[in-house]
Amino acid sequence: MTTINRRTMLKGTAATAAGLTVASKASKTFAAPAVIQSGPTKIVYWGSFADSLGVAEKQLCDNFNAAQTDVELEYQYQGTYEETAQKLTAAVAARQTPDVSLVSDVWWFKFYLNNVLAPLNDLIAANNIDTTDYVDSLFNEGVRNGESYWIPMARSTPLFYFNKELYTEVGLPDGPETWDDLVAVTDQLVTKDGDTITRSAFAHPNSASYVAWLFQPVVWQNLGAYSDADFNIQINQEGAVKAGNFYRDSVVNGWATTPDDPESDFVNGYTASLMASTGSLAGILAESPFEVGTAFLPQAEAFGCCTGGAGLAILADKSAEQQAAAFQFVSWATAPEQTAWWSENTGYMPVRKSAVDGMTDFFAENPNFKTAVDQLPQTQAQDAARVFIPNGDQIIGKGLERITVNQEEVQPVFDDVAQTLEEEAEPVLEALAALG
Amino acid sequence: MASVQYHHPNRNRSKVDPVRILSYLAMAVVVVLIMVPVFWMLSGSLKTNQEILTFPPQWLPRNPQWHNYSDAWNAAPFGRFYLNTIITTAAGTTLELTNAALTAYALAFLRFPAKNLVFILLLAALMIPEQVTIIPNYLTISDILGQNWINTYQGIVLPGASVAVGTFLFRQAFMSLPREVIDAARVDGANHLQLLWQIVLPMAKPVLVTFGLISLVAKWNDYLWPLIVTNQDRMRTLSVGISYLYNPESTVRWGPLMAGTFFVIAPLIVIYLWAQKHIIEGITSGATKS
Repeated sequence: MTTINRRTMLKGTAATAAGLTVASKASKTFAAPAVIQSGPTKIVYWGSFADSLGVAEKQLCDNFNAAQTDVELEYQYQGTYEETAQKLTAAVAARQTPDVSLVSDVWWFKFYLNNVLAPLNDLIAANNIDTTDYVDSLFNEGVRNGESYWIPMARSTPLFYFNKELYTEVGLPDGPETWDDLVAVTDQLVTKDGDTITRSAFAHPNSASYVAWLFQPVVWQNLGAYSDADFNIQINQEGAVKAGNFYRDSVVNGWATTPDDPESDFVNGYTASLMASTGSLAGILAESPFEVGTAFLPQAEAFGCCTGGAGLAILADKSAEQQAAAFQFVSWATAPEQTAWWSENTGYMPVRKSAVDGMTDFFAENPNFKTAVDQLPQTQAQDAARVFIPNGDQIIGKGLERITVNQEEVQPVFDDVAQTLEEEAEPVLEALAALG
Repeated sequence: MASVQYHHPNRNRSKVDPVRILSYLAMAVVVVLIMVPVFWMLSGSLKTNQEILTFPPQWLPRNPQWHNYSDAWNAAPFGRFYLNTIITTAAGTTLELTNAALTAYALAFLRFPAKNLVFILLLAALMIPEQVTIIPNYLTISDILGQNWINTYQGIVLPGASVAVGTFLFRQAFMSLPREVIDAARVDGANHLQLLWQIVLPMAKPVLVTFGLISLVAKWNDYLWPLIVTNQDRMRTLSVGISYLYNPESTVRWGPLMAGTFFVIAPLIVIYLWAQKHIIEGITSGATKS
């Protein structure tokens, strides 16, 4: 655009220059001061939480600064997970990265493939961190070829929520143990006005609300998978197709609905149960006028439940000194004591096994939270197809919408999804091959 | 604005006119379409989450939750955000209007080589979506003339200071102005700046105010660029401040979010009410009689 303006500028018009002067005068007063290195090592942390979670995150950072004098951490909020990813992409290109960043389960891999994240094994060894105290499924999600690239921090899992009053009436006061238990009582849970369902037994979210995350466990429960660890797509094979048919039948047989916001349907009594993130627990409990029960996810052939959420990564382009200081924060923030504090204040799962010992009082007051923590050791990391393939979550989610909302046949839809996933996986496989 | 066109002096007002009734009906529909979301935001800002989520909708709060406003205001340094937004919006809109007016003047009234090429490049620039330019802009701003402008006002303002849309709109408006007036001013010895300032811009006032308003609203509400180019609270703007109230990772508290949204857009509503008078004024006034 400067070329367009050049001629007019040459004509001697001063207005633009005057405007620029105003802008630069303003900036001189408020521009960021140059960082002067003296005393503690200064590090910058990019976080992604707003509202009450943001307050807790800020508090955690302040506590860290108060607890020691070697490192001074500056907390910088960067929007949602997705906005943080976008910002990190720009920052990497411009070499303006922070020292530590929150990374989400669905996009850390992209940065790993581009050598943006620092390998952490040496730092873990140098600081004598006992990694076996981290919940295995959570810790292993950040490990690639034996090397750790991020440490779990804000982690959640799916949980089964049910309207306790309604489920007690049908003889399942503790929730269904298997999906068959649920199907057996759907006639009693569903209410209709003519052909319109006024209350469903169960509600599925749409792809915008990560339905592919909640469908992941159901696939495992039917002994299937989205893919194996080497990106061989299995979503159009037996187990996953069986799970797909179960979802389709739930809608066709009239006991499950697909509202835009299942959680608000649940608290308003339009559905008797749903699967949702453990992160929604506090909100659902606060807004439900009835007693809410929680349970492990129902089983089919087996039990299955996945993990989700975010962790802390250190940037590879920092000096060894900066990385050591950054790791001091990472290890402190996920130490048992801080884990318990963070978990009690946010509702995220405690990422350290030993943290649970200090949370007995909290569990006594929050029995539903205890359900989620008890389920945690049985969870496993998600399949590569959803978290490592770009847009994998949305590709699978749109397929599920075709099955549940449009009620298309499962096999052809999943064949389409598998083909798209395979195409999208190609650049990832090439990048992996290039990494060696 | 539509109502202005119906003030025909000869219309018999006592007679029932179906066209008139239809046009009022259409206006009523538009008013409802525009006002219901605003009303929903205002009433939501005084409700509990349960009241907001309930169905059938609860139109008025049973027990107004005034603390939603203080909760929202205290959730982030909104005073600072106001100051930042006023500075970046004022500087950005001023620069954008200035650049657009000067460039459009050159394209409309001056003769220079490759003028059409410049205009075609300008049209091409219209087609580029803003999202595509974010990373190149970030790279530029992070190292511009040897300076790092990340986290500064000029970093927020500069990429938006020169856009093709304004130049295009202004050029089209300038081209449609009566040549007689311009020629007359030239004969009287006006130089280019005098022509632009005393003749062209006053005659093009409706488009100036309209585009000024569009530019103002766009800069006031701009979210992604200010978020990307700033790191610290002290440099952030109001629209980024709203995101401090919205957390998709857990249950959203809609009451404070609606309250925050209201106090963020309130100044814009006031400015719009003031400016729209000038748009209508500009349309109805003319410089020549034909």
